[in-house]
Amino acid sequence: MRNRLLLPALLLGLVLVAGFAASTSQGVTDKTTRSQASGEVTLSGWASSPTETKLLKEVIRGFERTFPSVKVNYAPISGDFTAAMLARFAARNPPDVLYVDSNVAPDWIKQRVLFPLDTYISQSKLKKEAFYASLLNGFKGPDGKIYGFPKDWSPLAMETNNRLLAAAGVKAPKTWDELRAAARKLQSKVPGGRPICLSPSWDRMLAFVYQNGGTFLNATKTKSTVNTPAVQRAAEWYVTLINQGLAGTPAQLGVGWCGEALGKEKAAIVFEGNWVVPFMAESFPNIRFTVNKMIRGKQEGNLAFTVSYSMARDAKNKDAAWQLIRYLVGQPGMKTWTSKGLALPSRRDVRAPAGRQNFIAAAPAARPWQFAPTFSKVIDTANNELSAVIERKQSVKAMLVKVEKVSNDALK
Amino acid sequence: MATMARRGRGSTGNARLREALVGYGFVLIPMAVFLTFFIYPFFYALYISRFDWGVFGKIETLGLENYRTLLDDELFWRGLKNTLLYTAAVVPIQMALGLSVAVIVNAGIRGRTFFRSAFYFPSLASSAAITAIALYILSADGLLNSIVGGQRPWFGDSDTALWSLVGLNAWTTSGTMMLFYLAALQAIPTDVYEAAAIDGAGFWRTFWKITFPLLKPAHFFVSVVSIIGAMKLFDQAYIASGGSGGPNYSTLTVVLYLYQTAIKDVNFGYAAAIGTALFVLIFTLTLIQRLLFGKAEVA
Repeated sequence: MRNRLLLPALLLGLVLVAGFAASTSQGVTDKTTRSQASGEVTLSGWASSPTETKLLKEVIRGFERTFPSVKVNYAPISGDFTAAMLARFAARNPPDVLYVDSNVAPDWIKQRVLFPLDTYISQSKLKKEAFYASLLNGFKGPDGKIYGFPKDWSPLAMETNNRLLAAAGVKAPKTWDELRAAARKLQSKVPGGRPICLSPSWDRMLAFVYQNGGTFLNATKTKSTVNTPAVQRAAEWYVTLINQGLAGTPAQLGVGWCGEALGKEKAAIVFEGNWVVPFMAESFPNIRFTVNKMIRGKQEGNLAFTVSYSMARDAKNKDAAWQLIRYLVGQPGMKTWTSKGLALPSRRDVRAPAGRQNFIAAAPAARPWQFAPTFSKVIDTANNELSAVIERKQSVKAMLVKVEKVSNDALK
Repeated sequence: MATMARRGRGSTGNARLREALVGYGFVLIPMAVFLTFFIYPFFYALYISRFDWGVFGKIETLGLENYRTLLDDELFWRGLKNTLLYTAAVVPIQMALGLSVAVIVNAGIRGRTFFRSAFYFPSLASSAAITAIALYILSADGLLNSIVGGQRPWFGDSDTALWSLVGLNAWTTSGTMMLFYLAALQAIPTDVYEAAAIDGAGFWRTFWKITFPLLKPAHFFVSVVSIIGAMKLFDQAYIASGGSGGPNYSTLTVVLYLYQTAIKDVNFGYAAAIGTALFVLIFTLTLIQRLLFGKAEVA
């Protein structure tokens, strides 16, 4: 997702940084202290949209009102966040609090750049149970310690174009068979496009693999389970949809990602997360679409994309950093943060905004998009192999053999 | 008299010393920058490449293990193959394009200043911006397809992705090559051309018999610069593939693989080994070129 929006995000980032430079944060001079934590605390993340930044600043203002002795220095990173953070970690000068994508969390925990929060958790009243367990587990190290709290999350859902589905006289499909049947009926109704948009990447296909009872790694994350009939059938089904013309990849449809295909009416059915909703409202406000529950195969299956607020091991002001994290992922902080529907709450006790129940419904079946250390590169390889399958340069079986080998090599 | 002379000599000596000091003073700053940001990191990378090196430094001493792994690393070889293929394709095009544009601009045509700026412009624009525009032009329903017909996603198809990068970069860098050639063209004395004109040589004959051979030092310089630039291909491949080197590894270059190893795998030792291997390769290629061009004066 971040990759696909990298360019717009870069440009946005530039604009944002310029904006921040202009508006220096108002320092709080009130000396009433509510805890020992005081001083300045730096918070870094990436910024996806101006609306999002505005919301976050609102949450931060709320924090500064509650903890007047702590001043938050919000320093978003434009461009390559991972590279920027690695440089800061190595220089022993990281921000105190930072975003950590669940996908890179295993690498960063292994590199010992994050600070375990367990002592702070036991000292404070923050309840771990309030968070969806599968999301929180994404930031648990092999040592059982917690290295971050999910700030928000999103599973995938099925977004359908109202007009195109009505024109074809089909209802939103609920199963694999219904999806295929709907796609056939839609085939003549999407001029210059395809009925479905499917990304040639595992961060979408894996949801379908889960729906077919397949997995990428075993439960203990010690062995690849990708070379199995369940995965093979799911992948073949996915690729066949594309090769039969029932689905198109973003490249084939001439768009950057499937959300754009929905907006440009180049596909009637896409599988994206909550991020597609603000995107559509901003870029394609006139396209009417519906967020449906993710389709199911043999069983329900979905991916959970999440990002945490974590503390750097070399954070200079750890007490204040903890106060900030606790506030940001606490009930009032998360309530403000998710109020506009830009993100979904990762706490059970914060209600998602109206119209998002089909995302939240996926929580029990959603597994975090996360594997093991050095798996970012394994996924790059897996995606390259998948694109070779889609170009009919190799079989699904050949891809799985390769992905199994690279995964097992990385797990050694 | 004698004392005066001695004093005079003394003051010239001082002036010379001062002049030398000022000279060294000027050199000092660039030299310090060069040593700190190029020479020191270069040797440090060599040092790092012998370890399993993480964010906080040494994890394990590996000796030459990283280099041994490199020999069996399929992705490294894939990246190397792509990089060499790209270099072999882009360098001749860049040179030919740069030279022809330079000859055109050097001829006394009307509006030469305009053309000179126009041809140089793509070299000035940021590679990220140019690549972003190219992504639109070369997309399935982009400008190029509406001209040539068809629905091919040029960057989304592993058969065309690398060649799209070749086309893109041949265009954007030809301006720089033009500038190098232009400088060399203007250094060719006019009397040679006058003699050729008296002998009745036409444009092509003059070009092949006089201009082209006299540009030998420029050819050497331009080809070295061009090859080094091509071997380091990164940003365009990174942006066009979203960092993955896809589709089907077609845009995976050595430097992109180095980046993935360092940033995604947090394996700085191995990444440094990849960098060293690339350095050895570029260095060897440059030496070979020097031999090929003989004792040509370096421009």
